[in-house]
Order: sequence, then structure tokens, then C-alpha cells
Amino acid sequence: MSTGRVKTRVQKGEIIAYSESAVRNNAAIVKYCRTSMAALSGSTAGLLGLTGFYGFGFYVFSVLGLWVMLLMKAGTQWQKFFINRRSLLTHDFFGSLFTYVLFWTFLYGMVHVY
Amino acid sequence: MAELLLDPNIRCWVFLPIVVITFLVGIVRHYVSLLITTQKKAEITQIQDSQVMLRARALREHGKYLPKQSFLMRRHFFNNEETGYFKTQTRAAPAQNPMTDPSMLVDMLKGNVTNVLPMIIIGGWINWMFSGFVTTKVPFPLTLRFKPMLQRGVELVSLDAAWVSSASWYFLNVFGLRSIYALVLGENNAADQSKITQDQMSGAAMAMPLDPKAAFKAEWEALEICEHSWTLSNIEAELLESADFKFETAEEQNHM
Amino acid sequence: MFPRTFLTMGILSLFHAAYSAVQHRSYLRITAQEFTTLPLDILLQAIISMFLTMYGILQIAGDFKEIRATVDLESKSWETLRNIPSFYTVNHRGRALSPEFDPASLKSQTQSLSTVSSDAVYS
Repeated sequence: MSTGRVKTRVQKGEIIAYSESAVRNNAAIVKYCRTSMAALSGSTAGLLGLTGFYGFGFYVFSVLGLWVMLLMKAGTQWQKFFINRRSLLTHDFFGSLFTYVLFWTFLYGMVHVY
Repeated sequence: MAELLLDPNIRCWVFLPIVVITFLVGIVRHYVSLLITTQKKAEITQIQDSQVMLRARALREHGKYLPKQSFLMRRHFFNNEETGYFKTQTRAAPAQNPMTDPSMLVDMLKGNVTNVLPMIIIGGWINWMFSGFVTTKVPFPLTLRFKPMLQRGVELVSLDAAWVSSASWYFLNVFGLRSIYALVLGENNAADQSKITQDQMSGAAMAMPLDPKAAFKAEWEALEICEHSWTLSNIEAELLESADFKFETAEEQNHM
Repeated sequence: MFPRTFLTMGILSLFHAAYSAVQHRSYLRITAQEFTTLPLDILLQAIISMFLTMYGILQIAGDFKEIRATVDLESKSWETLRNIPSFYTVNHRGRALSPEFDPASLKSQTQSLSTVSSDAVYS
């Protein structure tokens, strides 16, 4: 029953049915990429010695970069894989912020403090 | 802003070990919780009850698409005085209070023990063992309000609030490594506390209400008062109207 | 391309950039200079290796699945279209094969059905 279960959305007057397992699969891939992006960009920010606002600005920059790379991976027909692009950008923004701050502090301590 | 120079020994023996400890304790916690959680056995009567409730609700909502006899036949199966499902099935009322229900209490206890207790114990141990010195500097500026919280063992008035002690570094690790566990252990890992609290909230809504008798009575009443009006009664005429056919008689066709 | 090439190369390059940043920092400390920013080559190496690693991770993360349900349904063959799990019936003669089957209960069921058949099902 899991493959047959559908959600429907009304888009521009037409109802489109979505397969829930595919949506979940894509969301899991995006979460994986987002966590690793947070770790990597945190490490880079710590390594570069960014502090304060520059660090948070770098996080926003890396979120945007990840968004662009995900859309590039999806190809020209991103509508085949995602419901809307805005949620791809802002979903779980603060969740991965913690991971970013951890790795940022970690690398900053390793490189610049010691 | 003072640019302190810290002893490299702190890096080797405090900074890195705290990261390693936090990560490994999280992984151990995941495997321990896998070992000690009891398999949830689904009661067949409970499943049957919840499915029957779903059927009755579907009948109420979509009954208008059935012809009248079919609807009445299905309602008869549920509501009939002698043989209806809601009338003849009786269940013993189970324990309502989560405190007195033993299986739920044990589950709650296990959840608390595996998640909160290690964090508190190890946090306290780190605070006791690695105290009295500054561990690292956080890269973002903090106000002086955070000083007593973050610099537990270090009592320097003029020290910048960005220099933190080992306990705060430990807590930063705990929160930051949560999403890493999802990468390493895959989904549904027990080291991720935030998901467990989410499951608790959604699981309470999903489970059958613990009093089937009251639920059956409510469903019986709802079915009794349900009116049936067949929406498909004039459907052929409506379809043909909307399709906008032009009806030609045989004479008109012959004239063509 | 090859899976994991970009990933390993990116991580190694990041390590190298970190090590050179540490060495630069200790050089500044020894010569008692002020630290403003890292030299440009380390900066560029760090950022480029970050994007390289990110690209490698995207490659190994797995493919996206098409989410519109109709496309999934269009690829089904005609024979499988009749298989609808919600429409399975379990109340058929197959229950006679079960070890707990009791023919006496069947007889009482048919008797009770005949008594209620005169109920006002038609209205």
C-alpha cells in the first residue's frame, strides 16, 4: 500500500497526484546533502578564520550554493522531482545551522586557537 | 579582545577527546536502545477495531455514492441490534492512566534512560574533570550574559565571553552531532532525540483510543443519524447534458 | 564520473588547506604579526575544494525519483492493473482450508442469516 498511496495538490486548477514514497526518498537525499554541506562549509569557515557575521553570511552563501547544485542535479525539469523550489531552499535551515556552528567552532579552534 | 595562546596539550587531551567521546557515546546509545527495546506486539483485536472504525467512517463519508440498498446493507452490518458489529462486540476497558499501565511505563522509562541520563552523567563528569581552564573560542561574539553559563570553572571578570569551558563545548557537540548520526547510522536511529519526541507526538494521535466501547457507541450513533441521498441518481442525464451532444432523430440523419 | 574521486580529492585538498593555514598562523605568531586574513591561495584552495567535495557528495547521494504518481502508473503493464490491494476479499471459501475451521459454526451462521433476511433492508 505504500507505493500506491498518493497525496494530491491543486496546482493552477488541476489536481496532481504525488507518490509519497518518491517524495520521501527525495527528501531523504536532500537531507543527506544538506547535513554534509553544513559540515563541509562549517569546516571551511573555521579554516578560513571567519568570525561573527562573516561566518553566518558564509552559511547563507553555502545554503544558496547547495540549492543551486541540487537544482543542477535535478536538471531542467526540476518539477519532476520537487513540489516547489522555495521549500528546497529554506527547509531545515536552523537544524543544519547547529551542525554548521559545531564544525565552524571545531576547525576554528584547531587552526586558529591552537 | 585578548588573543590568548592556549597550550597544545589542551587540544590533544581535552578538545579532541570530547568530540570523540560524544560521537562514540551516541553510537553506543543507538545500539543499546536497539537491544533493550521490546518488540511491540500488535494486538489483533485492536487492529480489527481500528480497521472497523475506518470502514464505518468511510461509509459515512462516501455513502452517497452507493445505491440506497447497498448503503443500508452495510449500515445493517454495523448497527443491527442483535448481530451488528458495534452492538455485539464487547471489550474490557483497559487501563487509562499511563502511570498505572505497566508496559507503557516501562517504555517511557527506557526512553528516558537511554536518552537523557547519559547526557547528564557525561556532562557532569566532563564538568568535574575538565574544569578550571578555557577550552576553546567560539567564532561569534557573545554578550556578557552568557559568561556565567559558558565559563563555568573560569572566574575571570575581564575574559571575553567567547572563550568557553569544556562543558559548553560538550553541549555544543551534543546538539551539533545529532544530524550527523542520521548520516552515519541511516534513518530511524535511536541516537537522534528530536525524532523520538516527534514520534511520541504523532503516535498518540494514531493509536486507537483506549476505550473501544465509547468509540463504538459514538460510531453507532453517527451511523444511525446518517442520511443517505444518492448523488448518482440522475447521473446519466447530467453527464449527457454536460457533454453537449446533439441528438438527431432518424429523419434528420436521413436528410443529411 | 568515477564515484568518490571528487570526494576524496576534495577532502584531501581541504586537509592540505587546513594544514597550510595552521602553518601560516604559527608563522605569524613567531614573527609577531597581526592576523587579518589568510593568503589568497589558501582561501581559493579551501573554497574550491569545498565545492569539489560537495559535488562528489551529490554524486554519491543517489538519484532523485520522479514524484508524479501518474508517470509511475503509466509504466505499469496491463496485467498488473487489476491488482488493487484495497479490494482484496478474505471472506471466501478458502477459510475451509484453515486448521481452525469448524463446519458447525457455518451452519449456525446461515441459520441466523435466514432469520434476519426479512428485516427492512428495502425501503
